[in-house]
Amino acid sequence: MTQDQQAASQVTLSIDGKEVSVPKGTVVWQAAQKLGIDIPIYCYHPKMSPLGACRMCFVEIEKIPKPPQTACTTECTEGMIVHTDTNLVKKARKGTLEFLLINHPLDCPVCDKGGECDLQDFTLRYGPGASRFDLKKRHFTKPVPVSQNILLDRERCIACQRCVRFTHEVAMQPGLIMENRGYRTQVAVNPDAPFDSIFSGNTVEICPVGALTAKSYRFISRPWELRRTATVCSGCAVGCNVQANVRVDKLLRHMSRTNDAVDDGWLCDTGRWQHDEVNSLERLKQPLIRKNNTLTPVTWDEALDYTTSKLKEAAQRTPQLVGAIGSTHTTNEENFIFQKVVRECLGVRNIDHYHGVFPSSAAGAVPWVYTGAIADLDHTGSIVLLGADPYTQQMTLDLRVKKGLRNGAKITVISSEPTHLDSFAHQVLTIKRGSEAAIAKALAYTVIEEKLWRGHFAENNTSLIQSHSARYADYSPERMEAALGVSAAALRELARELAESSGAIVLYDELTTKISGNETLAADVFDLGMMIDLITRKNSGVGPLFHAANSVGARDMGVLPDTGPGYVKIDQPGFDYNAMLNGAVKLLWVMGANPAKHMEKPDMMKSLDFLVVQSLFMNETTQYAHVVLPALSYAEKIGTFTNLERRVQVLHRALNPLIGPRPDWEIIKGIASRLGVKYSYRSSSDILTEIAMNVPLYAGMSRGEIGESGKQWAFAEEKESVSAQR
Amino acid sequence: MTEQVRIVTKNIDIPGIDTFSVYTQHGGFQALRKALAMEPAAVLETVKNSGLRGRGGAGFPTGMKWSFLAKNSSKPTYLCANGDESEPGTFKDRMIMEKIPHRLVEGVLISAYATGAKQAFIYIRGELAYAARQLERAIAETYAAGYAGKNIMGSDANIDVVLHRGAGAYICGEETALMESLEGKRGYPRLKPPFPAAAGLYGGPTVINNCETLSTVPAIIENGAEWYASYGTEKSKGTRIFCLSGHVNKPGNYELPMGVTFRTLIEEFGGGVWKGRKLKAFVPGGSSTPMLGADKIDTPMDYESVASAGSMLGAAGVIVIDDATCIVDAVSRMEEFYRDESCGKCSPCREGTFWLAQLLERLAEGQGRADDVKLLSDICDNMSGKCFCPLGDAAITPVVSAIKLFREEFEYHIIHHNCPLSEHNRSAAAART
Repeated sequence: MTQDQQAASQVTLSIDGKEVSVPKGTVVWQAAQKLGIDIPIYCYHPKMSPLGACRMCFVEIEKIPKPPQTACTTECTEGMIVHTDTNLVKKARKGTLEFLLINHPLDCPVCDKGGECDLQDFTLRYGPGASRFDLKKRHFTKPVPVSQNILLDRERCIACQRCVRFTHEVAMQPGLIMENRGYRTQVAVNPDAPFDSIFSGNTVEICPVGALTAKSYRFISRPWELRRTATVCSGCAVGCNVQANVRVDKLLRHMSRTNDAVDDGWLCDTGRWQHDEVNSLERLKQPLIRKNNTLTPVTWDEALDYTTSKLKEAAQRTPQLVGAIGSTHTTNEENFIFQKVVRECLGVRNIDHYHGVFPSSAAGAVPWVYTGAIADLDHTGSIVLLGADPYTQQMTLDLRVKKGLRNGAKITVISSEPTHLDSFAHQVLTIKRGSEAAIAKALAYTVIEEKLWRGHFAENNTSLIQSHSARYADYSPERMEAALGVSAAALRELARELAESSGAIVLYDELTTKISGNETLAADVFDLGMMIDLITRKNSGVGPLFHAANSVGARDMGVLPDTGPGYVKIDQPGFDYNAMLNGAVKLLWVMGANPAKHMEKPDMMKSLDFLVVQSLFMNETTQYAHVVLPALSYAEKIGTFTNLERRVQVLHRALNPLIGPRPDWEIIKGIASRLGVKYSYRSSSDILTEIAMNVPLYAGMSRGEIGESGKQWAFAEEKESVSAQR
Repeated sequence: MTEQVRIVTKNIDIPGIDTFSVYTQHGGFQALRKALAMEPAAVLETVKNSGLRGRGGAGFPTGMKWSFLAKNSSKPTYLCANGDESEPGTFKDRMIMEKIPHRLVEGVLISAYATGAKQAFIYIRGELAYAARQLERAIAETYAAGYAGKNIMGSDANIDVVLHRGAGAYICGEETALMESLEGKRGYPRLKPPFPAAAGLYGGPTVINNCETLSTVPAIIENGAEWYASYGTEKSKGTRIFCLSGHVNKPGNYELPMGVTFRTLIEEFGGGVWKGRKLKAFVPGGSSTPMLGADKIDTPMDYESVASAGSMLGAAGVIVIDDATCIVDAVSRMEEFYRDESCGKCSPCREGTFWLAQLLERLAEGQGRADDVKLLSDICDNMSGKCFCPLGDAAITPVVSAIKLFREEFEYHIIHHNCPLSEHNRSAAAART
């Protein structure tokens, strides 16, 4: 957009004497927000379409007949003059509040919302001091469960419809409806669709009153008793920005911090309420050493001394028989120091973590990460989910896909299993398990045969075109139709659509690559993206949807057998994850992982001479361990995670650490010092400083620089070299 | 003696006029034939020139409304006939639909032709089961004759007409709520803009007219704009069906040229106030219009005169209130209606009607408190102009106008704990004290 165009699409207005310019179509409330002028709202929510029902956001606008106007529904126009504090406005707001309160039970002292309630707050700020209502209030039975997790108090409800609109508009799972009319109006469960959305908790958060309350939070705390810490959810690879609410020593809930780039203001119920990992009484508190075949509590010194002696002895004698498994749940700092100690202090090359199958980066330093941004889903033209179901793995991403859908994106689901998005998709192609890569190849074939390529690739890559032609020659859509039963016409049409769309995003699940037949899936999708310019094209991208909170960070930090931090190639790669667990090593150091859970034959663990595990809990792996070292959870430590769009985000300490366990980096530092290497790190921030200096992708990153909303490491700068290397 | 002028209600008493054959025998569908021979723009121009204004309440010029339809929408244009007649005191559309349904169908077809709508809906109030059956049959007969659907009367015009029965909500008479309801959603009024003419039903440009308005169109096409405009007053052209009800000897529908006085309607056609009583007040246009005192009985029944008398002609539902009526009781009953029919979308209407109804009930029972009249007025002020749709303003109209006219009567109820008019109330009050 040129500057002129930008100016033409802007309007300037004045609110309470202050001028502000906003894009055309902006409502007065938004413009006032920009100026920091508070206009109270109930029904309006910036993420949903205006309703105009609560009649709270009154303002007076000069030259518009019949004042007052509602700020949430009135679009700004050039030269508009708005007043938010006239007597007319004050009386109107007071009137609305009095109306809202006549049937309200005024049970603030026993209401969970009391203290963070908009009805309470606005009444104090704008409302009448007392009510003139001296008649009979309407009564409802209360509370009534509307789902397994949420209770509804219809007497407190002010019928703003935020919850109902969330379920219809945002989650697109219309679990709640408005029932009856007039003063009998109430929120109710949709008789045709149960309110079982995994996003149901958002309705509790956006409820401006205490009508919807979470079972897990009812009568547990008062808002003013909470310690609120801005941090990042560790539930999955999206890394939603949350405010952790802690009462004394318990993490009660996560609330959204609304990072539009990441979570768009929404959380899933698991991320919001499931905090057993932090709160459980089963947490390990003391180091354990296996004595007489029983794990026995010992002191940290004894545990670390013993572990170090075992590691040291083995590493000196047979480093090829020592292995290390890092974690997708620990911080970047911890993974960095882990690989550093393993490689530099122990001289061990066998290091890896549980992840999908990505072609060896020895062939070219390709970071197998989604090349776009999460927010690109909002305005892209076409979204392809290839063996991926965000609803089950990267939950809030599901809402992004739906947002894209509402904005006009075409959704294509290609999967061997039914997925949640099937019913929303424009096209669902059901395929055989393990043929996802073949589908990607067929799309690539079509691009070559129909010369659909565009951008950088089309310009100067005749040799690449030739090699790609050869690579994909056997995968014509017609052959795929015969072999897999997928419509060739549909595949060709899809390839054209991806090539021609204003933006296109192709995503696959990280673990879909592990299905036999999909070994080349990552590379095939990347090739497809290269050929039709999905890497640099606006609102486009290709890549895997990772599972865990720091899956990308573990890779970035070089917890891989063939690359070091920042995907620097290692000359002699060590054993990978599977090899290590299938007998290649005799001594295994596991940090924050539970490999036995993924193994077909976990008994293989018994063949290890020594197994040391850093863990929060006893689990499938610790039962084979010789030493168990209790670690702290994400909520008790500081550090950084890197989410699936390469966004590095800061974890703050939300909770006082449990007495006994230590953060993983400190455990590792303790082992290093016993190995004779004294690191000077006083905190994980010091490790981040070292990462920033040594890992180009993280250059310049510090907790301050990353800030509250995270910072994406660049792909744009990388892609030139990526294409060259491939 | 003034005579009724039968334009919309022409031939309405002929036996069997509700059948296609009798309706056509008496000139039915000639207007449609004539319209189809004209350019749609010419039909629209004729309606514009006739001065026809909407009969649903707001009185907006019909031809102008049609000309506002978005011309370059990517979506189809729709026409809706608003047959959700629910305003207390109105029963004219019901009569048309029950007794001479083909006239409405003909009006719908002509109007759809004029506005370029290929699809018309007649939205009928759910309770009007008989009218709905009559219309269903009329539509079916019209289709069977080739007068609706594809190639109407052998022309190129294709217009489908579908009858949709409401589920019983006053709010669905509001045009945008009607569209929501037609679309299968809950009957809530929509945010405007966009206005229906730009994006209405299913997002398409939509014209929505009252049944009586549409039923007037055939006569205008048949006889010309000037003929129609020769009835009524300068600004209020034509006739209206006045629904006379309340404390009157001969209630009923009377089609009269606009400009005739309320006195004529009430005394000549209605046979005067019943039981030999005097007129206390009357509601000129349905319960949502401010009531007027007996002194306004000589007001001519046209848009402008009623407006200058302090009310609105509305949907022409004239309710007569005799001097034995407790006005607090009457208003209390009206407010009950609005309380029950508020859609509940916006706070002031949902809660305000609830509060008003309770307060009025208390007042009528002689249980009112000292400041209750002031409180009533202030509640009305907090609703006035602050509700989402016009129904909020409608709901306060009886209260505001009654207090304006009969403040002492309200206060009497408070001071004396009973009604100045009712022996029964007086003894009841005595029993309480």
